[in-house]
Amino acid sequence: MAQTLEQPAEVSGKPDLRRPRDRRRHRYGERPGIAYLFLSPWVLGALLLTVGPMLASLYLSFTDYNLFTTPNWVGWDNYQRLFTEDERFRTAIWVTAKYVLLSTPLKLAAALAVAMLLNRQSRAQGLYRSAFYAPSLLGASVAVALVWRVIFDTGGVVDSGLASIGINTGGWVANPRYALLVIVILGVWQFGAPMVIFLAGLKQIPKELYDAASVDGAGWWRTFRSVTLPMLSPVIFFNLVLETIHAFQAFTGAFVVSSGRGGPSDSTLFYTLYLYQRGFTEYKMGYASAMAWLLVLAIAAVTALLFRTARTWVFYAGEDAK
Amino acid sequence: MRSNRPAGAVRILALVALGGLLGVTAGCGSDGDGGSGSDGGNVTIRFDWWGNPDRAAATEAAVKLFQTKNPNIKVETSYAEFNAYFQKLATQIAGGGAPDVLQMDYRFVREYADRGVLAPLNEGPAKVDTANVTEQLLSGGTVNDKLYGIPPTQNTQIFNYDFAAWQKAGAAEPKEGWTWADLSAAAKKVSDSTGGKVRGVVDFGGIEDWFEVWLRQQGKTLYTEDGKLGYTAADVTRWWQFTDGLRRNGAATPAQVTTKVDGSQANDPVVQKTASSGFAYDSGFTPDTWQIMGRELKLTHFPTDGGKLGQYAKPAMMFSISQASKQKEAAAKLINFLINDNEAGKTLGMSRGLPANAKVREQVGGALQGPPQAAYQFEQQIGPKLEPAPPPPPKGASTAKSTFQRIYDDVIFQRAQIPQAAEKFFAEAQQAIAS
Repeated sequence: MAQTLEQPAEVSGKPDLRRPRDRRRHRYGERPGIAYLFLSPWVLGALLLTVGPMLASLYLSFTDYNLFTTPNWVGWDNYQRLFTEDERFRTAIWVTAKYVLLSTPLKLAAALAVAMLLNRQSRAQGLYRSAFYAPSLLGASVAVALVWRVIFDTGGVVDSGLASIGINTGGWVANPRYALLVIVILGVWQFGAPMVIFLAGLKQIPKELYDAASVDGAGWWRTFRSVTLPMLSPVIFFNLVLETIHAFQAFTGAFVVSSGRGGPSDSTLFYTLYLYQRGFTEYKMGYASAMAWLLVLAIAAVTALLFRTARTWVFYAGEDAK
Repeated sequence: MRSNRPAGAVRILALVALGGLLGVTAGCGSDGDGGSGSDGGNVTIRFDWWGNPDRAAATEAAVKLFQTKNPNIKVETSYAEFNAYFQKLATQIAGGGAPDVLQMDYRFVREYADRGVLAPLNEGPAKVDTANVTEQLLSGGTVNDKLYGIPPTQNTQIFNYDFAAWQKAGAAEPKEGWTWADLSAAAKKVSDSTGGKVRGVVDFGGIEDWFEVWLRQQGKTLYTEDGKLGYTAADVTRWWQFTDGLRRNGAATPAQVTTKVDGSQANDPVVQKTASSGFAYDSGFTPDTWQIMGRELKLTHFPTDGGKLGQYAKPAMMFSISQASKQKEAAAKLINFLINDNEAGKTLGMSRGLPANAKVREQVGGALQGPPQAAYQFEQQIGPKLEPAPPPPPKGASTAKSTFQRIYDDVIFQRAQIPQAAEKFFAEAQQAIAS
């Protein structure tokens, strides 16, 4: 992300667009084969292991494939059943939507807050950064999700802690009102990756702006709103897109905390978890493929929407010069 | 802005993808051999099952015995926990790498047999001698007059209770012909005597297995002969109204405890001592059971209102041979050994329940002690009253079972009215077994 603020010319000045292309042709033009040769392992991998299976799943989503017998073409049947007769499909969308809307902003806020704390000069900076980043490395693992379940379970740390101050929840994991929160907190706790990116973004904000702000007598809040946030908005946008996509795909936490059931009372039935149940415990691979493609479409639509709104609030240094 | 900002994302994503690819391509290297094959008269077969480590130890010892008796047959074994086992099995079969001998579940046998994945065991190269296996059990593995799974063991539904706690609470202990009202009254007494800390009974409303016994007591079945639901939504409503009442008056476990019941000891309220009794199968008893439970329990039959017991000899698990196996004779030999051989029987003990082979059972039964002995005695006593196992349920039955528990959650957390919840379950169950 270090280059984010150095390239505005490319965006605003049209004449610049031709030059890099010319240069590229000059550099690789004589022997393009070499470039492709070096690219080939990844291109092949992407084609065979990602694009190929994806196309296969697109085909399967129009069949009744069940893992054992040859798939039969059923047209739009799977999609139609999803929308007309599958109540759990709607539950899963609702649970996932709640998770995305809760966890993404909270995670970004936590990441930004910690990044700003770590942005100050102090000793043992590296240590703190690693410490705060660690949950992201661990958090997606099954082991941590298991620990999480124990912490929030009946008689666990949270339950007995709250009970001692008179709040009796009886454990969050087995309570349909709180179970989703457990997974949200697990997700938010893994704020390390966006935090590191925020930290890099904060370092790019020119010191002069802060100096100017303090000369003008701006307080902390004013500086934050008028300098930090606008200057950081491209990074915020980047993190927002990435984390939203991640949130849509959340699976491990829900799977482990609810023992794969999405319970209690379907309160943690994430879309991906329901997809998994349909595909791998009921062997309805055609149906599950249809669900997977709907998820792809949904994520694409939400991402497109985010890009649309970005025009109104994402600020790139240099743009306003025009 | 379009051109450079997403490029950062793409670059990071590309890096992540690269890392992933490296992992995948590295993983492909070790996929060369494996599977079954023969060289020079020697035969290798694969045998997979689900279960805990204690069952694995017993099974591997029995397999070792088999190999010393049949030096030209090599058996490769592997096991996993139930859900993982079936996910793996399905993908293995789809990929053409099914194990030769596999452990099959009663709820899945029709599904797999209908799809042509299993070899018949009463004819052809995979024929196994079942002369001494209880006839009542074999019906559970028979689909369209062909035997696709042989149960090595039988088990049946039980009610087990902490008799010391019941006596202390002044609750009437179950006796021959006790009724559901008796259970309700006794459970309430236990709960009251402990101020609700230990409930009288585990809320059993969400477990389809116990619902089935209740249905059978009224002359109904879970599934009809032609694989339809053998009851109505009104039956479900009555059942849930009864169990919901138990929870509401404190006799049964609260919702947050009940929702975690998944058949494992770790989440069993009786083991955790938050309940003093519950329904179960009698196949889970090992010499350590009382230690795990922290007290001794008594085993008895289900309560009943009309005098009809409704319980049956259940072929909980079976051994099957995959149709794709190239070594069906050797595979049949292994199954034959596991179910009919006395020494194998002794080695396996009660690790899968009571041996289905009557002769082996006598041998094994004499040597039992502790909890398995209690289970054995219960089986001997109730055996004559048990009905034959119903034919294997239709495909989708396992989905219907989990749906039953899931929608009962809506009842106990009071998120739905009972009649509506019952209707909803009924519709989903019909959908599950139809498609």
